[in-house]
Amino acid sequence: MSGFLERLHRGPCLLLDGGLGSELIARGLPLGTPPDRWTLERPEEVAAVHRAYVEAGSDAIHANTFGANAARLVRYGLSDRIVALNRTAARLAREAAAHFVIADIGPTGEHLPPVGRGDLEEWRRHFEEQGRILAAAEVGPQVVVAAQAAVCPQPAVDAFHVETMSDVREALVALEALREVAPTLPVLVSLTFERKKRGFFTIMGDPLGPSLIRLWEAGAAAVGANCSIVSRDMLDLAREALASTRAPIVLQPNAGSPERTPDGIRYAQDPEEFAEDLASLLTEPRIVALGGCCGTDPRFIAALRARVTARRDP
Amino acid sequence: MAQLEYADLAQAVIDGNAQEARRLARAWAESGRDPLQAVEHGFALGLRRVGELWEEGEYFLPELIQGAEAMKAALETLQPSLQATRGEQQKKGCVVIGTVQGDLHDMGKSLVATMLSAHGFEVHDLGSDVPIARFVEEARLHRADIIAASALLTTTMVAQRDLARAVRDAGLDGSPRVMIGGAPTTPEWAAEIGAQHAENALRAVAVAEALVS
Repeated sequence: MSGFLERLHRGPCLLLDGGLGSELIARGLPLGTPPDRWTLERPEEVAAVHRAYVEAGSDAIHANTFGANAARLVRYGLSDRIVALNRTAARLAREAAAHFVIADIGPTGEHLPPVGRGDLEEWRRHFEEQGRILAAAEVGPQVVVAAQAAVCPQPAVDAFHVETMSDVREALVALEALREVAPTLPVLVSLTFERKKRGFFTIMGDPLGPSLIRLWEAGAAAVGANCSIVSRDMLDLAREALASTRAPIVLQPNAGSPERTPDGIRYAQDPEEFAEDLASLLTEPRIVALGGCCGTDPRFIAALRARVTARRDP
Repeated sequence: MAQLEYADLAQAVIDGNAQEARRLARAWAESGRDPLQAVEHGFALGLRRVGELWEEGEYFLPELIQGAEAMKAALETLQPSLQATRGEQQKKGCVVIGTVQGDLHDMGKSLVATMLSAHGFEVHDLGSDVPIARFVEEARLHRADIIAASALLTTTMVAQRDLARAVRDAGLDGSPRVMIGGAPTTPEWAAEIGAQHAENALRAVAVAEALVS
């Protein structure tokens, strides 16, 4: 056991990483290419991003497995590489020597009727498949950095993070599937919410409080939100979430919205502003993990880390 | 009495009840009353209300789609009598729509296609990852009034500029207009490339209607 769950409950707030896809794009990931492809084609770039986050202060990093489920891979002709994509991504993350490696579980990209033609049971099988591969992924003992002398291979991942889900039903089947195939691995679950007049909802209409409660009661280790909204709005979401449920909360806002400039793409937000917005959450015991999503980079994590350090060593 | 019946038509769309919309449309057509009235004062009012509820944050994607599907069911049912009453020309305009090359996102684009169709446009949905040449060819083939292109990534947005240029260069009959959308797009970007911007599916309908009027 990696002690991930224990660390989550013990605190202080676990610092996750920031955007991975956007960092790979900055390093030259081509137009329309899924980040997962670089796990096999440019692993040194993926490893470099992981190391940059560890150096910036991430306690836990996400493996580059967000799109590595069968439903997504088939669209890019990568179905037959599903085992290698997941295993290698987990290994690359483990080799970056963060305290913890979290396997990133993204959505199928399909939608249930009437919006699309997705099927929940087919999705469950996809998540079971990905979960099984990741749970079985191992790294050799020489990679383990902790003091204990390991004589046998170690699991490559310490937890799962079901992320960027816009339908609570999909999030639930992913959670159930992962708990089924990997009962000893904690599962974090984050939905993507939008701010509407009446509060925070997913695009499918799932409300914040009741959705988080459902996921918590279904066995998630922590529940929360990622993507789409910026740090200032995430602060409001945090307050509502804390008022709605007693579950441990995980949050990963975006760094503002992407804008096109003559020099390229720019995300509107300054890392210091991002960290300042989230600062008050660092001492809220039920906010167990914080990180960043689209547009965030190691600077954002460093800014958060500086505030954690400042609190600890005033 | 007639007012109450119009409200029933609208309600079927608001409720997203395609079966009921079809039933009411059929009853209306069989009664011999003007099908255009049923659309304009009944079903279409319901669809507008669905849009309002979405903007108010009361309705979400499933309800929006269901409303649009109910509307389309009504339109399909009324199609023969609409044709009989008004001849061929009931479509507001022809739209060719797709997500640009390199981009597989399609939900927003499909929603726009559904809403345009529900509002009386002839829509040809090319899907996602559509090369510019195909947008132009399909627009030529269908004599499109509007070419609508969605891009959900900052990295695929450039294709919208290339599309606008290609459409100008192609010199298509009727000079179709280009409408763009997608999360990273802005009115400024649209102006820069010589296209119209639609922030969401409802705005897309309004922009499209303005473009063909």
